Amino acid sequence: MSDKSWLSEIPQLDRHQLLDLKKTLDGAFRNFSREYGDNIEAFFDPLLSFLIWFEKLLLSSPWWLVIAALATFAYIASRSWKLTLGIIVAFFLIGFFGMWDDTMRTMSIILVSTLLSITLGVPIGVSMARSNRVQSIVTPILDVMQTMPAFVYLIPVVMLLGIGKIPGVIAVIIYSIPPVIRLTNLGIRLVDKEVLEAATAYGASPMQRLFGVQLPLAMPNIMAGINQTIMMALAMVVIASMIGVKGLGQPVLKSITNQYFTLGLLNGLAIVALAIIFDRISQTYAKRTLQNFGGQ
Amino acid sequence: MRKRLTSSLLLACISFAMPSVASECGKVTIADMNWNSASLIANIDRFILEHGFGCEAELVPGDTMPTGASMIEKGQPDLAPEFWPNAMREALDKGVAEGRIRYAGTTLSDGAEEGFWVPAYMVEKDPTLATLAGIKANAKLFKHPEDPSKSAFMGCPAGWNCQISTSQLFNAMKLADDGFELIDPGSGAGLAGSLAKAYERQEAWFGYYWSPTSLLGKYKMVNVDFGSGIDKKHFQECITQNDCLTPKITMYPPSVVDSVVTEDFAKRAPQVMAYLAKRSFTNAQMNILLAWMEDQQADGEYTVEHFLNNYEDTWTKWLDEATIQKIKKAVKEL
Repeated sequence: MSDKSWLSEIPQLDRHQLLDLKKTLDGAFRNFSREYGDNIEAFFDPLLSFLIWFEKLLLSSPWWLVIAALATFAYIASRSWKLTLGIIVAFFLIGFFGMWDDTMRTMSIILVSTLLSITLGVPIGVSMARSNRVQSIVTPILDVMQTMPAFVYLIPVVMLLGIGKIPGVIAVIIYSIPPVIRLTNLGIRLVDKEVLEAATAYGASPMQRLFGVQLPLAMPNIMAGINQTIMMALAMVVIASMIGVKGLGQPVLKSITNQYFTLGLLNGLAIVALAIIFDRISQTYAKRTLQNFGGQ
Repeated sequence: MRKRLTSSLLLACISFAMPSVASECGKVTIADMNWNSASLIANIDRFILEHGFGCEAELVPGDTMPTGASMIEKGQPDLAPEFWPNAMREALDKGVAEGRIRYAGTTLSDGAEEGFWVPAYMVEKDPTLATLAGIKANAKLFKHPEDPSKSAFMGCPAGWNCQISTSQLFNAMKLADDGFELIDPGSGAGLAGSLAKAYERQEAWFGYYWSPTSLLGKYKMVNVDFGSGIDKKHFQECITQNDCLTPKITMYPPSVVDSVVTEDFAKRAPQVMAYLAKRSFTNAQMNILLAWMEDQQADGEYTVEHFLNNYEDTWTKWLDEATIQKIKKAVKEL
C-alpha cells in the first residue's frame, strides 16, 4: 500500500478501522433495540390495535356494503357517475378473481398510512411554509426519505419492531409522506400575497388566515400531494410484504419467486385498480375545490 | 483491481487482432444465491475457476426456484454451487433426463439440516420444549404479534421451496388446533429478522430454519424433535407436494445439497467438473466459516481470501498440483 500515493488512490479507511466502525454502530443499535425495543413496541400498540380493528372491519363487512360505501364516497368526492360505476365494476372484478381479502388488507393499510401521512405531513408542510429555516432543514431530510432504498431502513425497523403491520406502516409512511409535505409547503407559499394582505386588512388573526385563506387556496396543491402520497404508498405494497405485511404484495412476491405469471399479473392489476380509483377520486375532488375557490 | 482493469483494457485493444484469448472454459456464469453459505461457495468457485482454470467467471444473483428453472429452460447460469434439490426434485430430474442439466457433486458432505427450531434458552428453562408435544402443550408462550388469542409459528417465505413442506407439516401436526397460526415472514430477511429480534430480547420464537447458516452459528437454537423419526419416502411423496392432502408428521430428512451445472458447461469444461465432484464442506466447517463471516462482517471476496489462506488442507484436496500452484500464486497477489 505504501507505494500508492493519495493522488492515484482515494484515501480509504483500512479494513480493520472500517470493521470497527461497522461493529460499533451495529453493537450500539443492538443494545438500543434490546434496551428500548419493548417500550417502542408498546408505544405503537394503539396504532396496531387500530390497524387490526380496521382490517377486521373491512374483512368482515359484506362485500356489497364495502362497494356501496366506496361508491358513495367516490360520488360525494367526485360527483361523477362514470367514476362511481367504474369503481363498482373494478371491485366486483377483484372479488370475482378471488382477490377480495388481499385487496381489503392492502386497502386498510394504505388508508391508514395515508391518513397518518396527512395528519403528520400537512402540519409539517405548514411550518415549512412559514419559516425558511424549517424549510432548509426539512427539505434534505425529505430527499433522504425519498431516495434511501427501502431495504436499508427495513433492517433496523424489523430488529426493533419485528415483522408485521407496524413496521410495514412505518416503511410505507417514510416512503410516501414527502409529496404531501412538499406540496403543502408549495401550495401555501404560492398563495397570493395580496389576498393575504386583504385578509390581514380585514383583521384576520394568523390562525384565521391559515384556516380561512391559506389552506383553502392551497387545497388543489395539497390534494395533488395527497394523491401522490397514495400512489407511492401503493407502490410500497410489494416491498412491505417482504416484512410480512399481508395483502396484494404477498401473491406478487410469490409469483416472482415461482414464475406464476398469471397470479402476478392479476394481483398487479388489482394494485393498479386501487391506484386508479384513489387517484381519480382525489384528483376530481381537487379539481372541484379549485373550481369552488378559484372561480375558474 | 487496477491491474485487472488495465489488463482488461489491454485485452480489449488487442482483441481486434487476436481471435480469442480466454481458455476453452470461456465465460462462466455462477449463481450467487441469496443466502450466505451459497454466496460464499459461489465466491470460492469463482476464484478457483478464474485463477485455477482460466475461466472468465461472473456471479449472477440467484434464488433456488428461478435459478433452477432458468438453468433447465435457458441453460443459464452455468453453475449453481449450492443447490437444494429437495422440493424441485421433479423438475430437476426431468432436466437431467432431458440432458439439460447435470449434478456435479455434493456441496455439503453430510447434508443440510432443516427443521423447526426454538431458542436454546427456552429449552434450558423447560426441557419439554425440545419436543413437539411440549410445544403444543405450551402454545401460549409463543405469542402472536397481532392477535393475542393466537400463537405464532414462523413459516417459510412465500415462494421458497420450504414453504410447501412447512405448511404441510403445520397441517400434519394440527398446530392450528393448538392456536398456532402459520405466519409468512415475506422474505428471508424477514424470517432472519424475526428470529434475531426474538433472540436478542430472549423472547419466545418457534419456526422454520435451516443449517448451515450464520444465524444458527451465532444463536443457539434447538431443533425440535417431532417424535416421529424420518419417513423419507413420505416426505418426498407428500410433504414436498402441494397437492398432497394427507400429510403425516415426519422429521426433515437431511437435505441433499448439490452443485448443479448445465449440460453445455459440463461438456465444455471437464476439468472443472472434476473439481466440482471433489469440492465439499462439512456442516461444522461451514458454520465456522459463516460465523467468522458474520463476525467480521466480511463480504464474499474477503471471506474467500480468509478461506484460501487458512483452510489449505481443505481446498488442496479438491485440485491437482498444477492448479494448486496457480491458486497459491493468485492468493499471494491478493
